[in-house]
Amino acid sequence: MNTIVQNSLVFTAVALAIWFLLHKFGVFPKRKKASTKACGNDGCGC
Amino acid sequence: MPKQINVALIGNPNTGKTSVFNALTGLNQKVGNYPGITVDKKEGICKLPRGVKAHIIDLPGTYSLNASSLDENVVIELLLNKNDKDFPDVAVVVSDVENLKRNLLLYTQIKDLEIPTILVINMSDRMEYKGIQLDIPYLEKELLTKIALISTRKNKGIDQLKALIANYKELSITPCLNASEIDNTYFDKLRKAFPNQLLYKLWLVITQDVNFGKIDRNQIDAIDSFKTKSKADLKRLQQKETIKRYQFINNTLKKGQTIDLSSAKDLRIKLDRILTHKVWGYLIFFTILILMFQAVYDWATYPTDFIDESFASLADWVKDTLPDGAFTNLLAEGIIAGIGGIMVFIPPIAFLFLFIALLEESGYMSRVVFLMDRIMRRFGLSGKSVVPLISGNACAIPAVMAARNIESWKERLITILVTPFTTCSARLPVYVIIIGLVIPEGSFLGLSYKALTLMALYIIGFLTAIFSAYILNKILKIKSKSYFVIEMPSYKIPLFKNVALTVIEKTKTFVFEAGKIILAISIVLWFLASYGPGEQFNNAETIVRTENASLSEVDLDDKIAAHKLEHSYIGIIGKAIEPAIKPLGYDWKIGIGLVTSFAAREVFVGTLATIYSVGSAGDNEDTIKSKMAAEVHRNGEKVFTLASGISLLLFYAFAMQCMSTLAIVKRETNSWKWPMLQLASMTIIAYLAALIAFQFLK
Repeated sequence: MNTIVQNSLVFTAVALAIWFLLHKFGVFPKRKKASTKACGNDGCGC
Repeated sequence: MPKQINVALIGNPNTGKTSVFNALTGLNQKVGNYPGITVDKKEGICKLPRGVKAHIIDLPGTYSLNASSLDENVVIELLLNKNDKDFPDVAVVVSDVENLKRNLLLYTQIKDLEIPTILVINMSDRMEYKGIQLDIPYLEKELLTKIALISTRKNKGIDQLKALIANYKELSITPCLNASEIDNTYFDKLRKAFPNQLLYKLWLVITQDVNFGKIDRNQIDAIDSFKTKSKADLKRLQQKETIKRYQFINNTLKKGQTIDLSSAKDLRIKLDRILTHKVWGYLIFFTILILMFQAVYDWATYPTDFIDESFASLADWVKDTLPDGAFTNLLAEGIIAGIGGIMVFIPPIAFLFLFIALLEESGYMSRVVFLMDRIMRRFGLSGKSVVPLISGNACAIPAVMAARNIESWKERLITILVTPFTTCSARLPVYVIIIGLVIPEGSFLGLSYKALTLMALYIIGFLTAIFSAYILNKILKIKSKSYFVIEMPSYKIPLFKNVALTVIEKTKTFVFEAGKIILAISIVLWFLASYGPGEQFNNAETIVRTENASLSEVDLDDKIAAHKLEHSYIGIIGKAIEPAIKPLGYDWKIGIGLVTSFAAREVFVGTLATIYSVGSAGDNEDTIKSKMAAEVHRNGEKVFTLASGISLLLFYAFAMQCMSTLAIVKRETNSWKWPMLQLASMTIIAYLAALIAFQFLK
């Protein structure tokens, strides 16, 4: 494995770790999930 | 028939509901949270006859459909909302043969919601001990359902229960009680105002503010033709409903159940007298605690050491086998070390929850909680806070998780917030090395100063937790009902399957939830310590070799490693924070230790070991100690003196230097607000204590 490959893998791993931590700390907005608590008989989810 | 049906397991606490869930689902289960709250949601899949699959939800224990806590509300919200994806096709109400009368109140309420309902009478193996006989056909006729008489302990009746669930369409949905009987005039008006709605459902909405369908409480209030009653009147009607239900239950049980007390062989009263005794009760409890600590500290050491050594060997093997390079170093020093750092916590967590599960399963925990409540309440805690506070001496992570069974949100939150003050085992390596360095030899009453200092640190931790709880109780403005109701379940021999599943589930939660964060932090810390900007970092080898030409190769390697670390990103951070920590008596190297040990306190020793160029952490404590003892400031003064040592000890006694505890507090409180508040306040307290200590002692 040459140096470039090793370094690329390191930076990928570090980037993934940082992305994961930012995600966990709520820096990225979460995608809104459809509510399971429907307010009407038609399950409009409002 | 659909291929998969929804089954809700409902029942009073301590009826063996979870045992029924385990018997039905085995290991096909997962634990999550209900959206927006931290009540556990246990789900599992059970294979039924004729290829039907049942999606089973183990709902939180509740005494009735008149909710008084967050978890009880979960049951009602699900049962009133037909649009919920988990709305049950069939409800399985689990009752306990010894408390059938009380358990049937909930059963009749669920039955009146016109949901197909099966009644499970659990713990049938205890009928003989208690002198209980049941007329099942009569009870089935009166209660308008099918009954499964089971014993999860003896694994009896589970197949019959599965068959009943599979044939749920044959169950009657006729209510047990005609809701109009509660108040004819009022319910007539209600029926006229909402002709298409189920009367009992409407009644539950009116009395509990729960939304369902297109009708909610406000809409009910808005309809002119229907004026609801005052709170006091509604309460009176609720009481009337309960009385009517108990009249029905009493009449049913009069013929359906016989209890011959003369043939009962019960030890419970005698045991209760000893275990809740105001002297013996505490003595027995503290003996059990000592045993528990022994297990968590000592017994867990063997598997912990084994895991630690295995990961160290694996890291060495990776370094020896893979080609040299940055990624190999990351694997060996970052990822494998990071995973190892998670795995070493598994034995203490597993041992702790093994004990807690055994105490809970046996019925003893309820007695402890009852015993301790009168003491803890004075400090704004609950009797149930005892378990987390004690567990915190081993590890704050399972301790914070153990606070889940505290009903009052305020008491639970206070317990979670103060538990990290208790001296966890991760503080020990730091304490041992600093005490060894700065506390003088000598003894008082046969106890060495070093041992006394260590004991004092444990006492300081516990007293700070209690004192903080008292303060938090005064300042937190959280409306929370603080009452103490605890059921004393019968004593039972713990079921191995239940204990094992509890231990597996708790350990899994730690490894997969907190573990991911610890691993990510380890990778980032490794990167910051292994890379740096500028000439000083990139040409470290040339610079060190030029400046120290006379040193041996081994000493040179140590110097190069130390030089690189000093000019790495984390070294720069250490230098940057030096002005802030200088008043506490620390230099930039200790600063780096403080930063890296934010991932976990025990990392401090390893970091200092690397900084002082003696290789990796811990394995040669004397060498680290002697190097640390020889460490001097630029002006020639020793770095580790009594003043800086005590300052450091106090800093670690109070500071929240544990990323995984923060992660678990976030998980348990469902918000970053509380762990951040905890981090800020504990750091401020730690800083001030360390500052005062250093300035007084220097």
